Formats: sequence, C-alpha cells, structure tokens
Amino acid sequence: MIFIAIILGCVIGAVVGNYAPLISYTYSGYLAIAIIAALDSVFGGINQSLQKKFDMAIFLSGFFGNAILAILLAYLGQRLNVDIYLVAIFVFVTRMFNNLAGIRRYYLEKIREKTHKKSEERVNSTK
Amino acid sequence: MSKWKIALTLGLVCFVLTIGISVQLKTVDDSNSTVSQTLTNNELRDQVLKFKEKYDKATVELEQSEKKLEEIRLQSTQNDSTAINKEEEIKLDNTLLGLTDVTGNGIVLTLSDNGSVRKSNIGALDNIENYLVHAIDLLEVVNVLKNAGAEAISINDQRITNFTDIYCAGNVIQVNGQKIGSPLEIKAIGSPELLYGSLKIPGGYVQLLEDTGVIVNIRKEENITIRKYDGIIKSQYLRNVN
Repeated sequence: MIFIAIILGCVIGAVVGNYAPLISYTYSGYLAIAIIAALDSVFGGINQSLQKKFDMAIFLSGFFGNAILAILLAYLGQRLNVDIYLVAIFVFVTRMFNNLAGIRRYYLEKIREKTHKKSEERVNSTK
Repeated sequence: MSKWKIALTLGLVCFVLTIGISVQLKTVDDSNSTVSQTLTNNELRDQVLKFKEKYDKATVELEQSEKKLEEIRLQSTQNDSTAINKEEEIKLDNTLLGLTDVTGNGIVLTLSDNGSVRKSNIGALDNIENYLVHAIDLLEVVNVLKNAGAEAISINDQRITNFTDIYCAGNVIQVNGQKIGSPLEIKAIGSPELLYGSLKIPGGYVQLLEDTGVIVNIRKEENITIRKYDGIIKSQYLRNVN
C-alpha cells in the first residue's frame, strides 16, 4: 500500500511539475540539493516504515528541515567560496545507500523466510 | 501509527519531490547545458548563464524605469507651455532616432533562404550561395526602401537607426549587434504604393534576388508596428560646432 501511494504521488507530481513554471537558473543549484535531501528523507521514511519505527514528526521535520538546511549550507558555502554542497550531497547520498540497504535486507529476509517455510513444509509432507 | 497515514504522508512527500525534480529537469533542459567533463568548463558555463539572466533582468528594469521617467516628465510639464513644447520636441526627436515603437501603413517584405535546394539538385555551374539571403542583400533592400522614403525600417524586429550596422557573421547576419537569420522579415513604414513599386521595379535588386532563387514575398499592410531600438546610443567624440 505504501508503494502504491508513493507511485501515485510520483505520477501526479510529474504531471503537475510538467506544467509548473521554470525557476531561474541561479536557484536551480539550490533546488538540486534540496531534491537530494528530500530524496534521502523519503528513502529513510520507507526504511523506517518497513522496520515499523516510522515517526511522523521525525519524518516531516527531517524532510523539510534537511532540505532547508542543505540549501542554507550551500548558500553559505557559495558566499565563503567553499563547496559545502559537495559534502551535503556526499552525506545525503551515503545515507540514501544505507537506507536502501535496509530496505533490501528487509525484503531479502522476507523472501528467505518464505522459502524456508516452504522447504520445511515439504519436509513435513514427505515424512 | 496507522498504515494509511504513513502511506498518505509518503505519497504527499513524493508528490512534492517529483514536482521539484521535474521543475529542475525542465530548468536544466531549458539552459540546454550538457554536463562537461571539466570543472572549469562547468563553472564558466554557469557564469555565462547567470550573466545572461542578469542581463535579461536589467533590460526589464530599464524598460520600467524608462516608463517611469516618461510619467514623471508628463507630470512635471503639465502646467507649463514651454515645457510642453520641449517635451514634444524630445518625443519627436526620440521617434526620429528610432527610440519609440511606431505604427503606420507600409509594406512587409519577407526574404527567405530557398530550402528546397540541395547540392544534388542544382546545376553544375549553379552556386548554392545564390539561394541564400546575405547581409549585402539586406543592405541593398534597406537602401531601396530608404530611397523610396521609408520613415521606419526594421529587420526581424531590429530597428534600423542611424547607427545600425548590417554585417555578415558566418551562418547568420548581424544587425545592431544581434544575430538574426532566415526568414528575414523587413517591415517599413511609408507610402505603401511607393515602397511596393520601388521594390518591384523591373531589373531592381528584389527582382534580381527572386531570379537567383531567394524566396521573396512582398505585401502592403496597414498599421504595421515597428519596435523601437532597444540598445543605447552613445556619443563620445561628438561635439556641436559653435
């Protein structure tokens, strides 16, 4: 069900985004970082919901907070002439991979349990 | 925490996220930038794009402040007859210099490259150059129009002023420093009959163009609007003789 909601949200978002106005190129760099931060939050949310540890407040504050913080840091970096946004991207992408690993592990274990049960049943039926 | 709520939140968040992604994709597409291999190239391209944006913004601002100036001038000269006269003089001068949008009857002449011509289907002695519109053609045509008393001329919305240069710039033609290309729409305000007749004169330059293979289309029109010259006219060496 969660995945249906996500796919539905993505499809509607893509359609709406198609008709949304362009933003100025100057700000597109900041939007890119916000997107990475938000993407990380979404993967985190999926992971947590699979582990049954989903917390609405943490998720929402992370989604918006991370995006805004990333933009602010990128802006600060530009003013100071330090590429802070590279570090932000590094951190977010690392976390994204961790979350993806969590999701992967959850499903792998599920599949393993199923095959285990099946083989046990087979052993029982042959007895 | 119910599963419904989680699904709804994630769906909404994904909705926001994909809007962001598609806007970003469109913006990047619009700036038609290809990701370059080197960091310096990327940075330089970034800067060029940013300056372009700044330039566009500045042009809009300039237009707005010109409008404001006009308003202020109008207000300050409302109750002063000499000032009103001066104001009208300034207006006339600006119009003659090509600094205002003007409208009137005249002709619209379209010159386009002959797209049907290929290397394979022209004669061995024919030159494919003959089928293209060149800067020199524009100069000749503008000269003909001026001779016929055109009061305002523009080529692809580039106003012909006293300071306009028409120059060949490789694949394109440069007018007022702006690049334009085929099809070239030349608008001229003046006596429509006179302009039309002078262009259509047998043995004239337009006929020559038609004969060599350029696609020419002339039509008389009423209430043509010709855009103003949107550059800046500078004078540095010029002084009045006393």
